Amino acid sequence: MMRWLAPLRAAFGRPSGMVAGTWLLILIAVAVLAHLLTPYDYDIQDLANAKMPPNAAHWMGTDEFGRDLMTRIFYGARTSLTVSSVSIGLSLMAGLTLGATAAYFGGWFDRVVTTAVDLTWSFPEILIALILVAIIGPGTTGTMAAIAVAYLAQFTRLTRAQILTLKSETYIEAARSLGASHKHLLFRHLVPNALAPVLVAAMLATGDAIILEATLGFFGLGAQPPTPSWGAMMSSGAAQLFSAPWIILLPGLVLTVTVIAINLFGDALIAALDIRTKLRDA
Amino acid sequence: MFGFIIKRSLLLIPVFFAASIVVFLLIHLVPGDPVDSLLTVGSPPEQRQIITERYGLDKPLIVQYGIWIGDILRGDLGTAIIMRRPVADLMAEALPYSIALGASAFLFYTIVGVTLGVTASLFQDRWPDRTIMTGVLFGSTLPSFWLGLLLMLIFSVWLRWLPVSGARDVSSLVLPVLTIGLGGTALVARITRVAMVETQRKDFVMLLHAKGMHPLHIQLVRVLRHALIPVVTILALRIGFVLGGAITVEIVFARPGIGTLLVRGIMQHDYPVVQACLLMLSMAVILGTFLGDVLQALMDPRARVSLS
Amino acid sequence: MTKHQRHLWAGLGLSALLALSAPAKADELVAALKGAEVGVATYDMLKAINSNVASTLIYDTLIEQDANHGYVPALAESWEEAPDGLQWTFHLKQGVKFHNGVDFNAKEVADWLAMFKGTDFEYYLGAVKEIVVVDEHTIRLDMTRPDPNLLYNLSTPFGGIMEPGARKADGDNYGLTAAVGTGPYKLESFAVGQETVLVRNDDYTWGAKTAANTGPANIERIRLREIGEASTSFLELTTGGVDMLFGVPQEFLSEATKQPNIKLMTMPDQEIYYLVMNVTAAPFDDIRVRQAAALAVNQQAIKDNLFGGAGNIPSTFMIASLPEEKVADQFRIKFDLDRAKALLDEAGWMSGADGVRAKDGQPLKITLWTQSDSNFRRVTEVIQAQLKDAGFAADLLTFDSASIRDQYKAGTHQAAVRSYFYDNATILDWFFGGDRPGYPNISMFNDPKAEELRNVAMTGSKTSEEFTKNFIAYHEYILSQFPFAPIYEPVGNIAFNGDRVIMPETINSPVFQRAAIMDLKLAN
Repeated sequence: MMRWLAPLRAAFGRPSGMVAGTWLLILIAVAVLAHLLTPYDYDIQDLANAKMPPNAAHWMGTDEFGRDLMTRIFYGARTSLTVSSVSIGLSLMAGLTLGATAAYFGGWFDRVVTTAVDLTWSFPEILIALILVAIIGPGTTGTMAAIAVAYLAQFTRLTRAQILTLKSETYIEAARSLGASHKHLLFRHLVPNALAPVLVAAMLATGDAIILEATLGFFGLGAQPPTPSWGAMMSSGAAQLFSAPWIILLPGLVLTVTVIAINLFGDALIAALDIRTKLRDA
Repeated sequence: MFGFIIKRSLLLIPVFFAASIVVFLLIHLVPGDPVDSLLTVGSPPEQRQIITERYGLDKPLIVQYGIWIGDILRGDLGTAIIMRRPVADLMAEALPYSIALGASAFLFYTIVGVTLGVTASLFQDRWPDRTIMTGVLFGSTLPSFWLGLLLMLIFSVWLRWLPVSGARDVSSLVLPVLTIGLGGTALVARITRVAMVETQRKDFVMLLHAKGMHPLHIQLVRVLRHALIPVVTILALRIGFVLGGAITVEIVFARPGIGTLLVRGIMQHDYPVVQACLLMLSMAVILGTFLGDVLQALMDPRARVSLS
Repeated sequence: MTKHQRHLWAGLGLSALLALSAPAKADELVAALKGAEVGVATYDMLKAINSNVASTLIYDTLIEQDANHGYVPALAESWEEAPDGLQWTFHLKQGVKFHNGVDFNAKEVADWLAMFKGTDFEYYLGAVKEIVVVDEHTIRLDMTRPDPNLLYNLSTPFGGIMEPGARKADGDNYGLTAAVGTGPYKLESFAVGQETVLVRNDDYTWGAKTAANTGPANIERIRLREIGEASTSFLELTTGGVDMLFGVPQEFLSEATKQPNIKLMTMPDQEIYYLVMNVTAAPFDDIRVRQAAALAVNQQAIKDNLFGGAGNIPSTFMIASLPEEKVADQFRIKFDLDRAKALLDEAGWMSGADGVRAKDGQPLKITLWTQSDSNFRRVTEVIQAQLKDAGFAADLLTFDSASIRDQYKAGTHQAAVRSYFYDNATILDWFFGGDRPGYPNISMFNDPKAEELRNVAMTGSKTSEEFTKNFIAYHEYILSQFPFAPIYEPVGNIAFNGDRVIMPETINSPVFQRAAIMDLKLAN
């Protein structure tokens, strides 16, 4: 645990990392404390005040149902952050396991795992998401499954590449000759040392996942009304493109800035951990 | 070397079958079937059974898969249930549009990405470098549907420079290509920049500097040539994605193509269409990856060892 | 870049701009099909699953409907129905030719009718025993039972008469590369999913009198484009890419009025939005709860706030223009929040602290299903809020249209917001027939008395007057059981470039198709 504080602090030390990191912290705080930060409810309709541009009462205007846009953006952050981090988290764990075991045991098992995982990678994300949501049903479960599947290949391959390199290190061979079990080697030595680049990749993938979640929300899949999601807000905003452009512009802006922040912070972390080469070789 | 290629290509066969099973199962797992779309208001209750039998949908799944894969291996892609035409015709009509879009976008982000990456590397860590890389990052994070709508708003409505939708001529390619291209540029620019920076550190470059060669010549000719190797390999890996990557954009810009064909097929449960298209898309990626791996092996003997 | 190169680029750019700004051809109308008509797979009307406006231009039918759903002679000059309903005789117009020169006569019609067998439309002629060619211009259908709805079926686009010889000869290509009818326009080209190009049939003189112009059409060429995205089609109209939109996306109506050269026109449409409740699933197995939910729908608010005040408020299951819609007043379903609350009190659902009613410790929670189309989502969100006013706690679930039908078949749903497009009373049989539970009978309604009335209406009516009377009885009974609540009846909006397109003064047909286009003109 302590090992992670140093690189995080180093990432914050760089100017881009600090700006990006601060934004992310603010966003997380906003998502968690949304109910305290705004007097409005995200689901109370007020048709009389629909489609009002930003003003004193509503800093970001209202949507087509008269709901305060800023409130919905705050709560939407909750949806985006939860869905993306849970799905990436699941994908990461699966990818770590598959990649580590594939690299460690090698042989036909390795072949099967890499091929299977490559197969998931070969289908366009949107289509897999469409189909998965059609199978599982609407709501965030389907989108989370779709996102998890979409990134599985990346984490598996990355972990596998790391473990392959580490496998031939002398200290591993030494431990093996001393009689260490596979499980011990894998979970005590190999995986922890391979973690750094994979975790950073996971962080960057979260940014992509937020965009994927928004894209799915744009097509009506994902979080159901009245639960706000940035993608769904932009979708209904597309219909109001002329009469109320802020409905589509503001959530999109917040989304873009957030993902840029994730990417910038991830870059800062990469530099701080000096693992650029490890990431590239995968 | 030859043996390596043969071994890898033989692997493609089981992968093909695995992909076909996945594809078949995926669409059949979606609740619903095409029969409901074929029943019009006013048809009698018996009509349902008649239609189900007419399209062979009452047979067990394994049998249906067997029939389908048998047809595919004979080159028969089947007939679309809802779209009423041979799937091969539907795909032959849609493919040129998707290829045009994908290839143009690919060219765009390759050329622009390499140019930006090289420029950034020339000014490494100074303000042009930072500006370019930040700008490129910004362009790549914009969600494609949002970017597409905004570009449409600016260039088609406010400025009236470009057509809003459709695929009549080259001008209708501009916005969709831009929308996809901005995303890919970031990746290519990054890779190019990193490759350039790392190559610059190599010994042979120092030697050339010592020999007194013009610095710009060194960068733009010698270094670039060497740096392009990893760029090309990564691009080769991405060739397979050219088709699939354009789907959201096809929908937003009302462009015909494999993407819109697939979405319609999924919505309507048109099994033959979805199966054939998904199989093709996935094989495109798998073949692309295979070619990329071969290219990489050809260029870098060490990779051959780790890949075999 | 050298000066020479710079000039080269400028020149290329300029010529590109010029190419882009080429004006639309003077005698060609470019129009965008409405959303519901996009995606027609073929113009072979016996293979097609849906039709668009072009189907009514390429083919004529024996009869056409006028604006009041009455039947008007088209290719059939006159017709008689035997008093017992077991015989129909059609007298065909003379001097009519198909696009490929073949003469139109009773033999051709008989051959065409024979083609129905084995297709998904064979039930159109389900009651037909025999087709008899009486003479060159007279054809008779002998029936096994009366079918007063025969005229309706023959007047739909699927009753468009195709030239049998051409259809056989072209095989799989028929409907794609060629489509031969007797209509005012010939099919020049069909790029599936993209555009249909029609050219005027200059020999056309036999148009039905639903249009003022019975002779050749005014416009020489029509290009029908299929644009799926609502915002895209609207942008095309504002930038001059199309001259007309057959359906204007709801949200762009107010924007359309701001543009100086864009004019709007409304026509009755065939759509009804409704809330359907599963009568076999709690809490909707209690008729009082169903009635309460139905009365909680504030149709006026939806019409005013979501649709800009346009459209109609339905109070039955059918569109207003149908004779079978004319049920007695006491059966009509209208907004009445107080009565809704009283009914819920009566049913034992008492008001709770957070506004949600409860009974025996159970809250009045329901799941409201809807589809991913943006219109549906908005309507459903408002209904959700209106139900909350009455004390229901409704959760929304959005499905894409691909999977929702199968979900209905599971029978576990409670309520859904849907719409249908149809202009005939048999829609009651389709949606409430007891032998189709789940889908299309989403309400799972299966009531012996209803089934009896249904049978009488569907197969026991000998004449169209009896048909109407029997269907009104069936309709009234269904309304009294509250398996659904009507929400909204949209009007069809048509937007067009007022500088290019001259609309006819009156349109004597239920929707904007052949009759309207015959009278349409382009400004010159």
